[in-house]
Amino acid sequence: MAQRRPLSLQARSTVAAGLALAAFLGVTGFALDQAYYEATVAAMRDRLQSYVYAYLAGSDVLRGTKLLPPETLPDPEFNRPGSGLYAVVIGESNSLRWESPSALGRELAFDARLPVGEIRFEGPIDNAVGRVFVFSQGVSWEVDERRPVRLTVHVAQSEQQFLSQITAYRRTLARWLGALAIVLLLLQIALLRWGLSPLRKMVRDVDNVMNGDADRLPGQYPAELAPLTGSLNELIDFGREQLDRYRNTMSDLAHSLKTPLAVLRSEIDGDAGYHSLRRSVSEQSQRMHDIVSYQLSRATASRHQVFSTPLAIETAAEGIVASLEKVYAAKRVLCEFEIDSDARFFGAQGDLMELLGNLLENAFKWADRRVLFTAHVIKAPRMRRAGLELRVEDDGPGIPAEKVEHLLQRGVRGDERVQGHGIGLAIVQDIVKGYRGNLSVHGSDALGGAMFCVRFEAM
Amino acid sequence: MRVLLVEDEAPLRETLAARLKREGYAVDCASDGDEGLYLGREMPFDVAVIDLGLPKRPGMELVKALRDDGQRYPILILTARSSWQDKVEGLKAGADDYLVKPFHVEELLARLNALVRRATGWTKPILECGPVQLDTTAQSITVDSKPVDLTSYEYKVLEYLMLHAGELVSKADLTEHIYQQDFDRDSNVLEVFIGRLRRKLDPDGLLKPIETVRGRGYRFAIPRSDVTAD
Repeated sequence: MAQRRPLSLQARSTVAAGLALAAFLGVTGFALDQAYYEATVAAMRDRLQSYVYAYLAGSDVLRGTKLLPPETLPDPEFNRPGSGLYAVVIGESNSLRWESPSALGRELAFDARLPVGEIRFEGPIDNAVGRVFVFSQGVSWEVDERRPVRLTVHVAQSEQQFLSQITAYRRTLARWLGALAIVLLLLQIALLRWGLSPLRKMVRDVDNVMNGDADRLPGQYPAELAPLTGSLNELIDFGREQLDRYRNTMSDLAHSLKTPLAVLRSEIDGDAGYHSLRRSVSEQSQRMHDIVSYQLSRATASRHQVFSTPLAIETAAEGIVASLEKVYAAKRVLCEFEIDSDARFFGAQGDLMELLGNLLENAFKWADRRVLFTAHVIKAPRMRRAGLELRVEDDGPGIPAEKVEHLLQRGVRGDERVQGHGIGLAIVQDIVKGYRGNLSVHGSDALGGAMFCVRFEAM
Repeated sequence: MRVLLVEDEAPLRETLAARLKREGYAVDCASDGDEGLYLGREMPFDVAVIDLGLPKRPGMELVKALRDDGQRYPILILTARSSWQDKVEGLKAGADDYLVKPFHVEELLARLNALVRRATGWTKPILECGPVQLDTTAQSITVDSKPVDLTSYEYKVLEYLMLHAGELVSKADLTEHIYQQDFDRDSNVLEVFIGRLRRKLDPDGLLKPIETVRGRGYRFAIPRSDVTAD
């Protein structure tokens, strides 16, 4: 099953911001709507109550049975039939009932009789003329001293007007909130694009490197990205170095094989006898073997690594010495260690093994009875990595001073190496150089033979 | 000496086997790891040569399996890989020496010789028991510094007895370690060899180097002069 590509950072942020914005604006809109609704209802209640008072103030009751409405109505709408604004006054008996002209013939079912002084506001309730808000109040009307008339006044307004008011408000609110949402989203997208622009620049730069238009990632990056781009640059450099090394190894190999091949060809072309030819083939095949071994080990050694783990010297040295003690069992060489417990090599395991293996085998080969291996940490405060000094000493014949330089000549190639010390030392030199270390050869003060000293400075 | 040779490359295996036989070894060949393990468990070898890149069962596993099985004879591994990591791993698995391909056959012979000697406690290439000296590299014998001329089978019998000087060596041991599988194992032949050896080493009958332990075998009776032998 093909895995779906995860959403882009931009899409993620936009979706998240959009959802948050929608929730926030939704709640805000709902709260504003509720507040406006409640305020509108309260305003209507007040208005209806003022109509009730206006009716009470202007009306009169004739002989306790007939209501005389005020001369001027609180609102002309009470006079227009079906206007939506209705007034109904009822007395204690069914004989007293007055309805405003607007309510005529509309069968308003306002029959409730409220006790004196009680106020009721309801709505919206279903009614013959549709849904209405009703304000009702019970009053006692002092027509003469002996018999007060008890009345209940109902004033009603249809929902229609109220609804259109609310709808208009909601429309306005939605428009503004919508506009706000769009503005905020655009702003968010713009901010994101600005915030992520270094990443896009990085992608472009990497593309350039891949197309060969640039050597490395150029310029300055924000603090959060600088470590990443730094590492990328190191990786790019490492890859390039590696490629160069392989190329050099290949060409060294090819060139150095040409010499023995040329020798063989000249032997074949000449009229060399069987024995001479045999000796020649044997010599040259040995030479080719040495060249191949040397170049092979050079090619597989990984040299300086970008992300190197610290390797304990002691573990590696113990494995090698255990092996050498087996192989050189007949010599009964005693190998002593003096290893700082925190001595670490920063690099590839294979390189450390080659380095120690070749140096220690050399020592075992030349030693009479004793080999001393020392590993010291070179402490350097303010440095990220401590340095390391490795010493391999033996009690063998040692190396004459005039031969040391010859032994350590730079750029030793497989076909130019010093006889007798094998290709081991050339490999050691290559590795040490690859890790920017230094190899030197001295006489051993402790044991009297040779001392090989490898130093990696702190960095 | 009986040697186990496990190598999958036929030309190399055959050349080596032929050369080893010429040098006086009894050679058993295997072309893969499983066959190597079978032979290595069944036969009393003095030394084994095992290639690391084998079909069916890798050489490293073969070495481990032989050691787990309790086989103590020295093992030399052949490998095309020359990295120290490989060498250390191979020796850790139980091998005693390694040789990187390609190699000179003389180098292999010298290493095998040394391994066999070391396994029997001799540290020097010249085995010395009183006046009798046996040079394992030159394959020559001297008694009181005078050279003694031996045939190759006589030499092999003497070498085996001297390597195990002081120990009882049964007739079965001798035949198994010295003859090829298909060789006639008539014990009379062995007795003839021992008789000739006694006459050649000790014509005056004063030294009595080889003791017969009736019904059990032979013992080289002159103690080792090599004091550091363990």
